[in-house]
Amino acid sequence: MSDVLPSPDNHIRNVEALYTGHQGWLHAKLRRRLGNAVDAADLVQDTFTRILASKAVVFDEPRAYLSCVAGGILANWCKRKSLERAYLAALEHLPAPEVPSPETRLLILETLHEIDAMLDTLPPLVRRAFLLSQLAGMKYEAIAEQLGISLITVKRYMKQAFVQCLRLVD
Amino acid sequence: MADAQRAEPVDAEALEEAAEWLMCMSAGDVTDAQQADWLAWRNSSPARASAWQRAERLMGKLGGLPPALSMPALDRPADPGRRALVSRLALLLALAPASWAGWRLTEQQGWAADYRSGIGERLDLTLADGTQVVLNTDSAIDVRFNAGERFIRLLRGEILVQTAPDIVVPARPLWVGTREGRMQALGTRFTVREFGGRTYLAVIEGAIRIEPGNADHLARRVVQAGQRADFDARTIAAPRPADEAVTAWTQGMLLADKMRLDAFVAELARYQRGFIRCDPGIADLRVSGAFPISDPRRTLSMLESTYALRVEAHMGGYWTMLAPR
Repeated sequence: MSDVLPSPDNHIRNVEALYTGHQGWLHAKLRRRLGNAVDAADLVQDTFTRILASKAVVFDEPRAYLSCVAGGILANWCKRKSLERAYLAALEHLPAPEVPSPETRLLILETLHEIDAMLDTLPPLVRRAFLLSQLAGMKYEAIAEQLGISLITVKRYMKQAFVQCLRLVD
Repeated sequence: MADAQRAEPVDAEALEEAAEWLMCMSAGDVTDAQQADWLAWRNSSPARASAWQRAERLMGKLGGLPPALSMPALDRPADPGRRALVSRLALLLALAPASWAGWRLTEQQGWAADYRSGIGERLDLTLADGTQVVLNTDSAIDVRFNAGERFIRLLRGEILVQTAPDIVVPARPLWVGTREGRMQALGTRFTVREFGGRTYLAVIEGAIRIEPGNADHLARRVVQAGQRADFDARTIAAPRPADEAVTAWTQGMLLADKMRLDAFVAELARYQRGFIRCDPGIADLRVSGAFPISDPRRTLSMLESTYALRVEAHMGGYWTMLAPR
């Protein structure tokens, strides 16, 4: 916590100054990274929304600060995009009678994003074991065989994944 | 503090223990003793109860995900090359059969079936010859018609068959086959259920001849309308009277007439995902009435309001337990 809390008005003025001074630069930077202006504009908005909601006080090195916030948002965005791509591909392969309604599809996608975020920091093999158990419904023995690990290890991985999910679930 | 609500205190130790329980439960079936231990654990402190609430929220989220869609999305490669994804997806779909409505944790059979219904679903079909088939919850059939016969293979679950006069002359015999044997329809309306290594037949109109798979012709038997009989691959049990309860499912109802609660629960479990169990202490409670199978929650609340029991739903409704009140 800082000693001097900015008044809300001050904070908004600060962010406004940051926006006027640097949003063009940030947009250009993101557009180069993404190769598309629309997504870049979205990310610029997200970045400033995040800053506006934060309690950041002084922007000593505005561009370094912006890069840092935008970098986090970009990484997260790429992850979300790759999940959405995989989800859409899976939808395409589903037999027609089993394709859920548009609203349900959206709900599922939201939950997928949540679960994806919970599993984010787990080692790949732990994540895999967890998904094989919880989504594919495989028995621990079968998972051990498929991943070439011992049954004890599968159980340890499962517990590790559950601890992680329980910490992060809302 | 605006964040106070979010910053719900979490007891790290209770969370570890909850994770341990989830790990055990995900291993497969849970014994009654384990279940009692778990209940005692959960009720022993507020921290544990609150850790378990998180577990329920988590399982609720996971349980709501259709595997065929979620597995490829969550298990995607770090760098999703489109080709890699597609080929892996094909593999997954082949390995882990998943239907949106009818996913069952271990059941794999029926994926390649001609027709199948999910858990809680009912499917009405009219076959090429006009024969009508209704699939009860979690059922699968193959249909093979050729010049010489009409054959319906029941892979799992339960069906009602209403035969039609064949469009081909001379009429081809209509058979229903199960793992235990086959049945020839001599009449028009009957149900067949495949369950626990036995076939259960109930004849509503006409007659059916049963031919167990591993028995000679002496073991064959004709079952008349109003009768039911069950058989394995060798022998047929003596027919008994069949009542309207056997076809109630086609009307979306489960009829119980002084049915033991454990039998009732086993019947109800066919129509919903997840575990449902009753406390051994009330297993012999007798239940009567007509219950909507398409709405298990309502059925459970009807039970709760009529009998001396309470319904405990855990893990987002994934695990239901009936306990004495």
